[in-house]
Amino acid sequence: MSAAAVSLAGIVKRHGAVTALAGIDLEVAPGEFFSLLGPSGSGKTTTLRILAGLEHADEGTVRLDGKDVTSLEPGARDVAMVFQSYALYPHMTVGENIAFPLRMSGVPRGEMESAVREAAARVRIDHLLERRPGQLSGGQQQRCALARAIVRKPALFLLDEPLSNLDAKLRVETRVELKRLQRALNVTAVYVTHDQEEALSLSDRLAVFMDGRVVQVGTPEEVFSRPATVDVAGFLGNPPMNLLPAWLEDGSALVEGTRLDLPSLRALGAREVTLGIRPSAVRIAAEGVPATVTMCEALGEDFFVDLSVGERLVRAKMNGRERPAERSQVRIQLEQGALHIFDRQTGLRL
Amino acid sequence: MPRPAAGREERRFALALFLPAFLLLVATTTLPLLYLVWSSTQRIDLTMPWLSGFAGLENYAKLGADARFWQSLQLTLVYTGATVVLQVAIGLGLALLVMQVRSGQALLRIAAILPIVLAPVVAGLFWRSLVLAPDFGIVDFLTRALGLGSYNWLGDPQLALVSVIAIHTWQWTPFAFLVLLASLAALPPELYEAARLDRAGPWQRFRHITLPMIRPAIVIVVILRMVTALSAFAAIFAATGGGPGSATEILNLYAYRLSFTELNIGYGSAVATVLLLITLSVAFLLFGLRRAR
Amino acid sequence: MKASVLRSSVLLAFAVAMMVVWVFPVAWGLVTSLKTERDVLAYPPTVVFDPTAANYQDVFSGSASIVPNLISSLIVSGLTTALTMLFAIPAAYALARLDLPWKRGAGFWVLATQMLPPVGLVIPYFLLLRGVGWTDTYQGLVLVYLTFALPFAIWLLVSYFEEIPREMEEAALLDRAGRLRALWHVVLPQAKGGIAVTVIFVFLNSWNEFLFAVVLGGNTVRTVTVAMFNFISLEQTQWARLAAAAMVGMAPVIALGLIAQKHIVKGLTVGAVKGGGRR
Repeated sequence: MSAAAVSLAGIVKRHGAVTALAGIDLEVAPGEFFSLLGPSGSGKTTTLRILAGLEHADEGTVRLDGKDVTSLEPGARDVAMVFQSYALYPHMTVGENIAFPLRMSGVPRGEMESAVREAAARVRIDHLLERRPGQLSGGQQQRCALARAIVRKPALFLLDEPLSNLDAKLRVETRVELKRLQRALNVTAVYVTHDQEEALSLSDRLAVFMDGRVVQVGTPEEVFSRPATVDVAGFLGNPPMNLLPAWLEDGSALVEGTRLDLPSLRALGAREVTLGIRPSAVRIAAEGVPATVTMCEALGEDFFVDLSVGERLVRAKMNGRERPAERSQVRIQLEQGALHIFDRQTGLRL
Repeated sequence: MPRPAAGREERRFALALFLPAFLLLVATTTLPLLYLVWSSTQRIDLTMPWLSGFAGLENYAKLGADARFWQSLQLTLVYTGATVVLQVAIGLGLALLVMQVRSGQALLRIAAILPIVLAPVVAGLFWRSLVLAPDFGIVDFLTRALGLGSYNWLGDPQLALVSVIAIHTWQWTPFAFLVLLASLAALPPELYEAARLDRAGPWQRFRHITLPMIRPAIVIVVILRMVTALSAFAAIFAATGGGPGSATEILNLYAYRLSFTELNIGYGSAVATVLLLITLSVAFLLFGLRRAR
Repeated sequence: MKASVLRSSVLLAFAVAMMVVWVFPVAWGLVTSLKTERDVLAYPPTVVFDPTAANYQDVFSGSASIVPNLISSLIVSGLTTALTMLFAIPAAYALARLDLPWKRGAGFWVLATQMLPPVGLVIPYFLLLRGVGWTDTYQGLVLVYLTFALPFAIWLLVSYFEEIPREMEEAALLDRAGRLRALWHVVLPQAKGGIAVTVIFVFLNSWNEFLFAVVLGGNTVRTVTVAMFNFISLEQTQWARLAAAAMVGMAPVIALGLIAQKHIVKGLTVGAVKGGGRR
């Protein structure tokens, strides 16, 4: 089975009076690693489940390779899924778990055994085939779930926060393996996560979900460097982007009593805006916005400096030998080229 | 995670699975119950079949004037109230005790299972014949040995009621005990540690932490035991047959005697219907209380 | 230190006393069953005596044999259990899994059915079965037994099914199992414990049932509970034989209780916590 192209058009999902999804349109190219990123409750898992067929959309269509599968039962779509809790069958051995989808499809015994061995070998659990899920570690269970998903060589691979139950180190290791696996199998993958770091490092493209809508779609670089809304900007990056309210008029912005000249924005007229600047683009300099250092946190090579600018808190990420003293008065410079401006009312990028 | 709304096929599947049992239940319970209510409006006297015919609410009117009915109702209330209170009190007390004495819990559990798995009719017979019987019963032996004299546990009307209450309590307290014990064992010990640090004494800990936390379990036990007490039949039948006279004739037994000993099925149906209504209202009330929490 | 030792001993004494009270009637029944009729009536009651197996002999062979009654009970309880599970398992699964508006009502109605006093059913059934000539038949009695077994089994099983995570079935569906096969291969193996407990309780309740059996049974269908009264007549009661018959009649359920005690305790608490259960 070759990788499928996925297309969602106008998907709406309601739960009683609450609208979980307010019209989702997405296109995923074959073989792409596509992430659905967003905070809890933003609708990304619901979208995934609709793709799987486990939930029915109230409106809209789902297409796989151009074929309308909106009303098809989960088993009839060529889709495999890795659940957040893995959903392994505890009363079966690892081998039986992996073999299950093949068994249900009526694959002959010999073929089944070799496929199971191959899938298990790919995720390196071929030595655990006789064990039960209860006897495996978290990481091994996850790989078992993966093997079960890939054994059928599906056209579409769905993953629902598969790494969230692993400890931090394992998470990073497994992340790399996942990507490698997807490439090797050349299968289209749709990946749900609330961890923006994961999404940014794994995806070919990603969609950011907020409150049941897709607010931005693009490559990780696009979404990171040009967030479309202030919510997206605040969600991506660790530590997150600093967001400061300001008044823009006549080509300069008034931020906490300080004026910043931004001649290129003269055309935007006068309005209330939000300025965004990433911590790494904040510098302590001789001239600039007055600020007071409230705390300095060392983290390996870098250090994070919490500054209070007027009433607001700004975080800066710096490296170097000089650590500013706490409670000292400094001036900070905001790199002009790294400023993001968002309209205060709509949240949209300007 | 939101639950998937049922798709058409899922709905059909669920219906297909549920329907057979549902239909069977309707056929076997609801229909006969309707028949019961219908027969309560009939005059069905198997000893005088020529008198059978529609009687309207005549049977119910008779109930009002029937002293035996009112006594039966009173007995039912006393029986139910006494057995439930005793079961919960003893069960809870024992469970609290056992929580403190760790050893021997397994033995106690086995001992507790015995009364529960015993058929109520056998329990009644055992108590009647071996324990309570005058002259050779154990209780009689003990009371005489302790100098308390000899009593006719099953022959004296007051004592007979006490006896059947004792039998029922004996049989069902283990249930209350086991459920409350499980409930107590499930309480997190950290709560008590925190309370101790807050200087709460044992009685205060019980009142303010233990009791509120096991309240749901107690309520369930009360509901279930009440229903069992209202439908108790076999043990009383075996021990006293409802007697002496009508001294232990709770509504259940009264309805039975009317229908199958005196063969006055119409009137017996009326009594049974009343009992049914009482049971359903009790269940409804208590469950409503539970949901309101 | 001394105070707590004293306290422990008092508590222990209490617990032991309770144990004795609960075990005593059965133990005394066992003792009585080994006595001759004369020894039974002896006063003061004797604990030391010449045991005799005569009562058990009478109860097993001969005119007072309750073996046919054991068989009757086995047939009735066995059939009831089998039929109940056949209907209850799918129904409970449907109730547990489905989120449909009528679920609440259906659940409550099942519960209400379970709480009916048997006397309310025995009267109409007496008339009904008489009408179709089904009194004193196995099919008649089993049908009536379903009235308490089925709702109870459904209620108990629903709580066990609800414990099984939905995701497992969803995974099975995605694995192309289809709903029925998902139920069979994935859900039921998970529910084995719950099913075992339910089988035990249904069998127990059927075996011990009395009212329906005495009113609706007869000479052909006479369960052990009814057979107890063979030994009681207006003139005399054969206490020792009665004891022996009771021990034999109750042996299966006592054995079941002892073997499956952990299951039974779990079943009681699960059933109680979720609200339901006849016993």
